[in-house]
Parts: sequence; C-alpha cells; structure tokens
Amino acid sequence: MSYLELAGLQKRYGGSVAVDDVSLSVEKGESVALLGPSGCGKTTTLRMLAGLIQPDRGTIRVDDVEITRLAAHKRNMGYVFQSYALFPHLTVSRNVAFGLEERGIGKAEIARQVEEGLALVRLDGLGGRRPRELSGGQQQRVALARALVIHPSVLLLDESLSNLDAKLRDTMRHEIRSIQRSLGITTLFVTHDQVEALTMCDRIAVMNRGRIAQIGTAEDIYERPATRFVAEFVGRANALPATRDTEGKVVLWGAAHPVAAPPQGAFDLFVRPQRMRIVSASEPTGGETVRVTGRVLRSVFVGDHVEVLVEGAGGQLAVEMPSGTTAPTEGAEVAVIWQAKDSLPFACEAA
Amino acid sequence: MTGSRRLPLLLLPAGIFVLAVYVWPTLLLLRNAFNEVGPTGAMVEAWSLKTATETFADGFTIELTLNSLQLSLSATAIALALSYPLSLFLFRTDSRFRGLLAVIAILPMLISGVVRVFGWLAILGDRGLVNTLLQSLGLISAPIKLVFNWTGVTIGLAESIMPYMILALLAGFGQLDRTLEEASRSLGASPLRTFWRVTLPLSLPAIVLAAGLGFVLSMSAYITPKLLGGGRVFVLATEIFEQATTNTNWPVAAVLAIYTLGLLLLLLVVSNLLARGLKR
Amino acid sequence: MNGAGPVLSGLAALVYAVILAPIIVVVTLAFSADSFILFPPSGYSLRWFQALAAHAPLLSALWLSVQVACVVTLLSLAVGVPAALALAKGEFRGKDALTGFFLAPLLLPTLITGLALLLFFTPMRLTATLPGLVLGHMTVTVPFVIRMMTTALSNLPHDIEAAAATLGATPFRVVRRVTLPLATPGLIACACLSFLLSFDETVISLFISGPRASTLPVEMVRYVEGRTDPLIAALSVVLIVATLIVVVAVERLVGVARAIGK
Repeated sequence: MSYLELAGLQKRYGGSVAVDDVSLSVEKGESVALLGPSGCGKTTTLRMLAGLIQPDRGTIRVDDVEITRLAAHKRNMGYVFQSYALFPHLTVSRNVAFGLEERGIGKAEIARQVEEGLALVRLDGLGGRRPRELSGGQQQRVALARALVIHPSVLLLDESLSNLDAKLRDTMRHEIRSIQRSLGITTLFVTHDQVEALTMCDRIAVMNRGRIAQIGTAEDIYERPATRFVAEFVGRANALPATRDTEGKVVLWGAAHPVAAPPQGAFDLFVRPQRMRIVSASEPTGGETVRVTGRVLRSVFVGDHVEVLVEGAGGQLAVEMPSGTTAPTEGAEVAVIWQAKDSLPFACEAA
Repeated sequence: MTGSRRLPLLLLPAGIFVLAVYVWPTLLLLRNAFNEVGPTGAMVEAWSLKTATETFADGFTIELTLNSLQLSLSATAIALALSYPLSLFLFRTDSRFRGLLAVIAILPMLISGVVRVFGWLAILGDRGLVNTLLQSLGLISAPIKLVFNWTGVTIGLAESIMPYMILALLAGFGQLDRTLEEASRSLGASPLRTFWRVTLPLSLPAIVLAAGLGFVLSMSAYITPKLLGGGRVFVLATEIFEQATTNTNWPVAAVLAIYTLGLLLLLLVVSNLLARGLKR
Repeated sequence: MNGAGPVLSGLAALVYAVILAPIIVVVTLAFSADSFILFPPSGYSLRWFQALAAHAPLLSALWLSVQVACVVTLLSLAVGVPAALALAKGEFRGKDALTGFFLAPLLLPTLITGLALLLFFTPMRLTATLPGLVLGHMTVTVPFVIRMMTTALSNLPHDIEAAAATLGATPFRVVRRVTLPLATPGLIACACLSFLLSFDETVISLFISGPRASTLPVEMVRYVEGRTDPLIAALSVVLIVATLIVVVAVERLVGVARAIGK
C-alpha cells in the first residue's frame, strides 16, 4: 500500500463527468504532478482529496486510513489555492497561525511555529503586514507557509504559480521544490504548465477528459508518451500522416522508412522537432535513420532556437535547430533526418 | 462542504416569517375579495363574485383606472425625459465626483416621501417658489394652481420614481460599449448622429425596462396622489386606502387591490417582453 | 470621446436642480419666520424648531419610530442573515425557487402588503401596536436583508472559506472566523439601510397605525393633510440630516468592503 491511494474516483456534474475513474498511488515524500489542459478534472481531483468536493464513487486513503467521506477540516491537508485565498482581514502572521489556532495549540508555540514558517518561505519580519500590502510572490509564500505549518499529511498545490510573472515563477518553482524535498512532504501539484510539472515533480500524471492518460517520470512521459494525447500535450511534436506498404513498413512523404507501423488503421508518425536535423539534400544517411526531403518555406528565430518550416511531398513539418547554427535559406532543397526510434506511431482519432 | 448539509435549516425562521406575515395575509386578501357587504355595511362571509361584479359595473372604477393610467403615463414620460440624460451623464462622466453624483441622483429614494412631498408643496403652492417667481417677474397676476390637482400629482410622481428609473437605466447602460460610440465617431458620424444611430437604439431595452418600472411604481403610489392631490385627485391607490380604512369596506378594497395588482403584473410582463424583444 | 461633453453635463445639471429642489426648499423653509408656507420666506428664525421641540404628538411618534426601526433592524438581521447564509453558501435542490420565494415580497407594492396586513392584524388586535408595526415593516426589511446579504456573502473572495476549512476550521468556525468578519461592513451597511427603510416606511404604517400608536411618517402625513405651516419643514431637516449621516456611513462602509474584497 502506498502512502496516498486514490482508487476509482469519480465525480459527475449533471450529465457531464468531471473526473472518471481516477486511480493514483503516491509514496511518502513523493511529489506528483497532475498535468492536463483546463477542464481535464485535475482541480476537481485535488478538491476531492481536500474534502472540498464529495466524490460520487471511489475511495481515498492516506496512510492506510480511508478518508473519502471525512470533512475537509478533519483531513489535515495543506491546500495552496490558485488565488492564494489569504484572509484579507488578518495579518500575515495570523494567516499563518490560523490552522494552528484551530488546533488549539498554545500561544507561545504558535508564535514559534509561525516564525519558523515565515522564515522557511523567507518572509521574516513581514508578519505584521496585511496580505494586500504584499506582492504576488510574497502572497504566494504566505499561502505556502500557512499550508506547511500545520504539518499536513499531504501538500496540495492548485495551479499555485499561474498568477506570477514568468521570472518569479521560475524562482518559486525551485524554492517550492527544495522546501518539499527538505521537508520530505508528500505533494500533489495541479498544473497545466508542462515545464512546471517536469521540473517540480518526481512523477507526472497526465490527465485528459477526467481520466489519467499516463503516469510516469518526466522522461517516460516525454520520451515514451502512452497515447496520442500525451504526445500532443507534452512537448511539441510533428504529427506526420503516414501509410504502410505491403511489408508493414511505414511510408512517409512517398518513401518507405525503417519504422514499424501499427497493424491496422490510419495513423500519424509523431516526431519531436528538436530530434530532427536538417542536412543537405545530397548527403546520404545510414540504416536506422528516417530521411525525407523538401524545400525550406521559412526560418523563424525564436530566441533559444530557430524554427525551420519544411514543405515536402506529404505536407509540412517543423524542425528546431539550436540558435547559433546557420539556418538554411528559404527555398533551399534540404533533407530532414531523424533516428527511427524517435518516430512514434499513433492511430488517428476516429472522426 | 460536508457541514453544509444542515445549512438549509437556516432558512427556517425567514421561511416561517414570510409564510405567516406575508403569504398568509396575501391569501386572506384574496379570500376577502369573495366576501359580500351587507345592507348595513357589515361584511358578510361568502364565496361569491357579487362584490367583484358590482365593483366593475361601477363607472367610478373605470374612471379611477383611467386616472391612474393617465397620471402614471405622464409622470413616467416626464421622469424618463429627465432620467435619461442624467443617467447617460453618470455613465459617461469621468469626474472624480462620479460616485458622489450617483449618490445624489438616487438620494430622494432614501429620504422620506413625506418630506419630499412637503417640498413640492412649498415649490408649487399658491405662495410657493414658482408662483412667487412668476409674479415678481410680472408674467402672471394671480397665482396659478399647481398643487391639489393633476399637475402637482404628476410632478410629484415623476420626481418620486426618478431614482428607481436612473438605477434601472444605469444597469442597462452597463451593456453599452463605449468603443461602439467611438467607432461610430471614427466612421464620420456627428455626436448627434452617433446618439441617434448607436446610443439610443442600444439603450432602448433599458429605456423600456425603466419606463415599465416607473409606470408600475406610479400606479401603486399612494402618498403623492393623496397629499399633492389634496383630496381632489382620485386614483386606484387612494380608493383602495379609503375603502379599506375610512369605509372599512374590505371586500371592495380587496377586489380593487387584486385588480390593480393584475394591471401591474400585465404591465411588467409586457415591458419585460418588449425589452427582451428589443435586445435581439 | 472623453467624459460627458458640455451639452449632456448642462442637461444633467438641470435635472440635478429638479432632484434637489424639494430638499433645498424644505431646508430653507425650516428656518422661516412666517406662520404659513411662503417661499422664499419673508424672514428667518428658529421658531419652528422651537415649536417642534414642544410638539408632543410628533415627538412621541418620532420616539415610536425609532423604537420600531431598532427592533425591526435587529429582528430582520436575525432572521435574514441566516437565510442569506444558506442561500449564498448552500448547495441544495430548489435553491433558486426558494430565493425567488424570499424576494417575492419586494415585488409587490406596499399598498397591497399594507392592505393584506390590515386584514390579517385586525382580528388579532395587532393594529396600532408595536409588535404589529414591527411585523409589518419586516415584510419589507427581511427580504431586503436577504437580498443584500446574499449578494454580499456570494461576493466574498473565492475559495477563502474553503481555505479555512482545509486549515481545520469546522463549518461553524469558518462562518465565525472568516465569513462574518469579511461580511461585517456589508452587514453594518445593511443594518443602516434596514433602519432607514423601517423609519421611512409610510404606506404600510398608514394601514396599520391608529390613535394608540402611529409612527412619525404617519403623523407627518396627518399634519400635512390638516395644516400648512413650516413645522414639518423643521422636522424634515432633522430627518434629512439623520438620513445623510446614514447614507455617508453606508457609502464609506461599502467602499471599505470593496477595498478589503480585492
């Protein structure tokens, strides 16, 4: 039994299913991201964990104790809300103290723990302020400290960084990750931002339409997406329409390639743009390499890389080249190559 | 939240109150409409339509209805003509006193109706502001009658419904996008043409709703026709009060009250349907 | 296009003149030295304030009105705020219908409510009594409190109560420590307006008042019907000043509430 066990969780709203049969095991001290587009049910799952929403079906167990029907205030879960939900009528210290006060802890002990909590998020000395006098990043830290001081059994973070600007988000990411690691606190992190999920968590559960599409490490998810949705949602990918020849080999842009095709049905070949390389049209290639030829439509400088759009017999594809390399000129005839193992076939979705 | 399952229990005191002191008396009112008045003037318990048929056969009821409708119509028209520019002003102004100006505009709503009626008596009376002014200018020789007649009641009603109409208009203007007016101006329309072709058509639903509200409020107003009419202006509201208190003729008062309510509901439905139709 | 433009501003100024005219005239008239309504007054004095201070019926009506308004305000909040809490925070079937039910009394004119209450109270001998007047005014103030507080409670910052729950506060503690403190400015504003609504309520009071007990607006109507002298103007000044204090208080409170809510 893992520390946190979700089994067959389901939640319906009227006719629509928000969360459908979600099961997930999280080890003690592990950090898991629920990654998915908006409306995929990730926040609903988190809220069911916190007891803010009652599931229609399924069970939640923490440390081998079932808490599915336990009221929110008895669960001891640290929840950091997207809006932070700081109490505007209380000072920063009182905000952090709130959970401790509700637990009937002595005044001196509360003061000590609040000070510790504020120090942990590097807000020492700001305890007397009101939340509205703080910047977004500082409010975020207060919310985190408030959730941490109660020594929660699980820390739940709901899109907690989405209201911060890009720079600050990066800093907070590392800060939260290091706090989580040093306290060894079991964490569930809801996000729609894959960079956040990839950098902050031990494992990622990609959610789509109320279901978990894949659970795995960042590398699993990125390198070996289990479904077409995961391949599309995590990272960028060229979806190249392909067919198969009589020998079962993949035919792409009019040529056969050394890639195994799925046994039946229409399918696309997914290839990450940064796994592709552009070589001169005349350069020959080896056995385990896919090679298509086409003409450069245009090159766009995007800062950390150059995106080259190539048009060939079977449509268009994008190649990411590291910036600093010389991009081919527009109209040039080129070959695009990648390793056969970097091509992932996924069946086309039934229209 | 788990604890919220017992939350509906909090509705109980208010529910009991509304049922006992609002719903039940209203049902009593309905019941009384079917009672009869005996020859001595005493009420006789009955289930008949006698009181209703007699009341409607009375030409006075028709006259009261026409009076009420006519007074409400002119009061609403005047109030609308005044409220519309004021609301548009409040909607558009970027004065830093906007909040204060809005409060002043709806201030009469919060000040006792009797106080305001008294103010109109002082303005419109024989020796009031208007007559004194006109006489000192030599425009009239004898005071003109402005109160204790239809003129006074119309003016008083118009003033009393204005705050409500201003609020309704402002709420309706909320959907009016300033950039549309700017687009019209940039396309070469003059301010007047812009008002005529963009602002007015877009605010028409708000106008209809505000007018409907003003009309209904004037129809059911009692204090203003009573005090500014000086006993010479008869409307449904004054008659209901007279029948209920002075004459203690409850069945007739009940019949008239239900009849008035029916008229009001009809007016509200019509103005709401009209506004909805205009929005499309 | 910026602002309202000179034409519209001019029109608005005219309308403001119409709106403020009765109030200004009443205030001026209160300081009249004349024995009847003459505007502008031929001289100024404080005689009508002195007359008011000696006018027993109006003063006792004023006292009754204050008593009624206080009781009405307290009871309306006691009955209305819990209901608003349930309507704003609860999730149960038929909530919309119930909301409609509680707000329905605001739709009917007080003329109809007043008549219905007269028919209801007379056999129970509740007319012209303090309890009768209180119950009568509450038909206006209870729905008003429910409407205002439901809106105020629904507009509390998102997730703030959920946050308190996850931190271990029981539902009752959430209301006490978070919901109510945050709703306090709205609550005080609501109390002020309920007081004003009850204090100014005229039509329902006219139906159920009597010689034994009549509120200030009723006495004022009777006075204006019978006599035309500036005494009522002096009384009006007192009322206007009191009203303005309440209005300013409400305006500032709601402003404060907005600042906190952000």
